[in-house]
Amino acid sequence: MCRGGRMFAPTKTWRRWHRKINTTQKRYAICSALAASAIPALIMSKGHRIEEIPEVPLVVEDKVEGYKKTKEAVLLLKKIKAWNDIKKVYASQRMRAGKGKMRNRRRIQRRGPCIIYNQDAGVTKAFRNIPGITLQNVNKLNLLRLAPGGHVGRFCIWTESAFRQLDNLYGTWRKPSTLKRNYNLPMHKMTNTDLSRILKSEEIQKALRAPKKKIIRRVLKKNPLKNLRIMFKLNPYAKTARRHAILKHDPKLSSATDPGKNHENYHVLHADADFPIAVESAIEAHNVGGVAFMQNLKLPYNLVPDGRFDFQVDELQRRITLTTHKKKKVWGIGMQFSGAR
Amino acid sequence: MADAEKKLPSVPESLLKRRKAYAASKAFRIKRLLAVKKARKAERKVIYKRAEQYHKEYRQMYRREIRFSRTARSVGNYYVPAEPKLAFVIRIRGINGVSPKVRKVLQLMRLRQIFNGVFVKLNKASINMLRIAEPYIAWGYPNLKSVRELIYKRGHGKIRKQRIALTDNVLVKKNLGKYGIICVEDLIHEIYTVGKNFKSANNFLWPFKLSSPRGGMNKKTTHFVEGGDAGNREDQINRMIRRMN
Repeated sequence: MCRGGRMFAPTKTWRRWHRKINTTQKRYAICSALAASAIPALIMSKGHRIEEIPEVPLVVEDKVEGYKKTKEAVLLLKKIKAWNDIKKVYASQRMRAGKGKMRNRRRIQRRGPCIIYNQDAGVTKAFRNIPGITLQNVNKLNLLRLAPGGHVGRFCIWTESAFRQLDNLYGTWRKPSTLKRNYNLPMHKMTNTDLSRILKSEEIQKALRAPKKKIIRRVLKKNPLKNLRIMFKLNPYAKTARRHAILKHDPKLSSATDPGKNHENYHVLHADADFPIAVESAIEAHNVGGVAFMQNLKLPYNLVPDGRFDFQVDELQRRITLTTHKKKKVWGIGMQFSGAR
Repeated sequence: MADAEKKLPSVPESLLKRRKAYAASKAFRIKRLLAVKKARKAERKVIYKRAEQYHKEYRQMYRREIRFSRTARSVGNYYVPAEPKLAFVIRIRGINGVSPKVRKVLQLMRLRQIFNGVFVKLNKASINMLRIAEPYIAWGYPNLKSVRELIYKRGHGKIRKQRIALTDNVLVKKNLGKYGIICVEDLIHEIYTVGKNFKSANNFLWPFKLSSPRGGMNKKTTHFVEGGDAGNREDQINRMIRRMN
């Protein structure tokens, strides 16, 4: 036995099938579709093979409206190079995917060109057996045929009188339509559509700032307390401060000192490559006199030679100990102000 | 219509116009670059002088305290140093099970994560806030070394709501230039000597994301005075900062 019950929300015939659309909107849509059918890029992007046709929009003589034989129609399409589009339709003939197969919608194919005529003197009969072709009377244009699938840009082949009729049907911007009551073509959204020219124009370029071509990327943070260069970049004074600190705590200079507090400041100068004097000449100079000696020393830091200093010249260790009586300490940036505050 | 002599120009006019405009803009650009370079050099000098002045100032501050206490002692008097203006607050507890008042206070101080640290200006209002959040924070009075090291190593600025590392004085200048703070040394000075624009400078600094203390904590559930870690530990905060920075 089968399962019982009724289906959920049984479909009713009184479903609202129709939709009401304003007439001007419908006409707007047709105008847009017709305009799109005149732009080769749009027609190609719809997939029609129009590489070889003479021009777009493609208009043929009114004699075409009198064709009776399909053979004539095929010859026409071949001569105007629209046959490639038909060949594409042939190539696209296939079985539908899905349940539509068992619902009488077994086979599907592409849409080909659309022939638009003014008076049917047999053209319908001639063209209708060619796969993909749709015929339309220009006085009764159908949006579903001009923009199949909702996408604009169908390949349309016009007859001459049909093409001329368009002016009467929809008017131009100078005169309103004669065949439609109180209808004029819709206004452009953009009157000058040459975008590249507009963008390069003087007026727009003048209002722009210069382009920023340089890509600024993230810099890796380096620790200034460890990396000297980064420290100097952030704080240029750190260089001199560190130099002072090194000189102050250089073991060559402070090795003989008593690291006690409140002692007189003194510097121990070694006669090595740092200083341009030799111990011997120093002793010599020392015997000569204080200030001149100081001037000859060329110390790497500023010591005020006010004459109030003592020297102890140590020949054994090749060292001159210079003691000043000024309590002038050299402070370095590495000083720890630790303690109470 | 046109004379026989007048030919079409070999180069289209629009192209000539473009070339002229480009040449003009290039000249302007080069001039501006040189001006910027010069300004940068002058700026660097200013930064150097300022850093030097601050160095002197810190030294003076340090020695002044010592001098005052010594002179006071020498005449048998007592020197009471001013109460500290700056505190460094570290959140030492996690985010689960926090009472609402404490939660709000920690949010206000921007301590939303464990071992986040911020500088706080000390006044009656903020001291009371610290008292409310006492069991969740360890705080104290940072010294100059702490302030410098924190800002140099872990200093990040709040730039357009993003946490950007302070790799260049330009970042400081762009954001705090209007307060006269143009380099990291200025920033350190503003924080350490709680200046007029402390609020802006401090708010510019993103809360410091510190490591967990190397060597461990004592007991984060009790107060410092009872052998734990929470609450005001005055100067000892510096030791903790050394271990966490």
